[in-house]
Amino acid sequence: MTSLLIFEHVQNAYYSLRSTKLRTFLTVLGVTIGVASITTILSLAGGVTKLVSSQIDDLGGNIAIIRPAVASKSLNDYTSPSTAGVFTTSTLTEKDLRDIEAIDSVAAAAPLMVLNGSLKAATSGTKPANSTIVATTPALQTIAHLTVRDGQFIDSVTDQFTTVIGSQLSIDLFGTDQSIGQTFMFRGQTFRIIGILDRIDHPINYNNIDFDHTAIISLETGKGFNQGIAQIQQINVSAQSIHELPQVMTTINKQLLANHQGEKDFTVMSGKEVAEPTSQFFKAVTAVMTAIAAISLVVGGIGIMNIMLVGVAERTREIGLRKAVGASNANIVWQFLIEALIMSLIGGVLGYIGGYLIAFIISTALPFDPIFTWQIAAIAIGVAVMVGAIFGLYPAIRAARKDPIESLRQYH
Amino acid sequence: MSKKTPPVIELRGLTKRYGMGDAQHNALDEVDLTIEKGEFITIMGPSGCGKTTLLNILGLLDRSDDGEYLLDGKSVETLSNARHARIRSQQIGIVFQSFNLINRLTVIENVALPLTYKGMFRTKRLIMASDILKSFHLSEREYYMPWQLSGGQMQRVAIARALVNNPSIILADEPTGNLDSKSSHIVMEELSDLHKRGNTIVLVTHNPNLTTYASRVIHMLDGKIASDTKHPVAVESETVKKPLNKTTKVTTKKSTKPRKRKQAKK
Repeated sequence: MTSLLIFEHVQNAYYSLRSTKLRTFLTVLGVTIGVASITTILSLAGGVTKLVSSQIDDLGGNIAIIRPAVASKSLNDYTSPSTAGVFTTSTLTEKDLRDIEAIDSVAAAAPLMVLNGSLKAATSGTKPANSTIVATTPALQTIAHLTVRDGQFIDSVTDQFTTVIGSQLSIDLFGTDQSIGQTFMFRGQTFRIIGILDRIDHPINYNNIDFDHTAIISLETGKGFNQGIAQIQQINVSAQSIHELPQVMTTINKQLLANHQGEKDFTVMSGKEVAEPTSQFFKAVTAVMTAIAAISLVVGGIGIMNIMLVGVAERTREIGLRKAVGASNANIVWQFLIEALIMSLIGGVLGYIGGYLIAFIISTALPFDPIFTWQIAAIAIGVAVMVGAIFGLYPAIRAARKDPIESLRQYH
Repeated sequence: MSKKTPPVIELRGLTKRYGMGDAQHNALDEVDLTIEKGEFITIMGPSGCGKTTLLNILGLLDRSDDGEYLLDGKSVETLSNARHARIRSQQIGIVFQSFNLINRLTVIENVALPLTYKGMFRTKRLIMASDILKSFHLSEREYYMPWQLSGGQMQRVAIARALVNNPSIILADEPTGNLDSKSSHIVMEELSDLHKRGNTIVLVTHNPNLTTYASRVIHMLDGKIASDTKHPVAVESETVKKPLNKTTKVTTKKSTKPRKRKQAKK
């Protein structure tokens, strides 16, 4: 059979689209908007996902955490984390901590003991809302990747009543983030600040603690507020390497089960499992937004269909003539389908470019950048072409089905 | 030349019905017709006698309900639409009353259009279109748009288009219907010239004057062929009307042909 005449159809489409510039522009615009919104959403969502996964990588993937009570790993845990665990008596003990530290492949382990009570600046008497006191060991700094901006982290040789505070807490208490050497009151005790933490903007917070608003004190001091008994809400463990993590988790499970008389009243989770709800959450949000954007693309597709039907009606005589001089039905289908495809392809390319422009403008107000991947380009262009094919097919078939005699008789 | 070679067109009992039940009538009623290569046939008749229907069926734009249609000796009734399209592309050229040029395209592109569907490349198409336009003395109009031409020029472009794929038969439906007498004359001269070069032409018209160009005149009435006359007499009037040397030569050739042929009468 003869060729598909793709080149001829493209050329023909060019002339015919050019002859109705405004109409073509508006139709293309419909597709452009749809593709642009999809591109924007996907590139920004990709940016968030990349941020999340880079932080999982930051964790090294070799982190395990142990929490009292059996936790479910549902999305709900992330969206509305239960605070009940913080206030109930923990089943984790200092013996558990010591036993975990003693395991061979464990690099470090740090307990988290959150204390109730409010802080008060010693000089001004300011009482900032929503601040937390956490008692822990120096190991936390490396495990939780806390960086100290000024001064030093708590360590085993510093005085009992010293503390490291988050930068926002420092501002709340003293009106400045240069507060080293200042003091605050907590449950009648005076704490001297020896270090300020860097600001933290990690979306994954497996400690359920906002370190920006937290004062960190030593575990010994914390026990002092609780009749000398450690009240450990969580133990963070880092394995020596990623490969050893599963084995470390198994060993911890066994050890703690023995410590707790065979009672499974704790949970051991890996860092990835902790991050899972976060990723799922962003994925769900992305999916919903993409679906909404897809609706605008459908509207664009209907625009194509509409304009193609108008074009077919207007060019009925041309169709009749083309058939009379030897065009087959397939030739006519392709002629109109390619016209639709060209419009949607142009819309796809413009939408892709426009989508990134919008994404970059939006990202100036966000802590992450849009990402470039070939997948997004493929989705943007692919979806656009698909829309063109789907919504262009019906008008094209309609054109091809026209009876040549009837068509040639029009406007006689 | 030609008792051995099959006729260009052979119709046997061709019937086309419109309407249903009581309202049914035969637009074509068992038409038998044989058209040999090189004939110039004029089909006359009142409106609604079925001449345009006949032309549409000859041009494979329409299908008959009964009977047989042999084109170049092969039956085309049972072929698919795609095969019909291919035959239109390769064996048939059609000229319309209203020219039907595509306004978006230049003259040369319009003429080259049928070649597109033969799968020919653009450059070759344009060369062939240019050649044919030259023979119609329209070379300097190649890159005009159709609406920049006079009616007569448009119809000559349309004829050039019908001719560009070298069809075995040219079908013309009232090609001069929209033209004044001067343009009509030019267009008919052009068709007559094509005939002299050996093309087969079937012309449908209302205008009795045009029969003077034809070698054979068919009158239709109520879907049947009422009369079918070879046209030696018309040849005389033709020579009177057009004092051209060439015409006389051709007419002798023409007048010899029909005698050998068995005439289809109904």
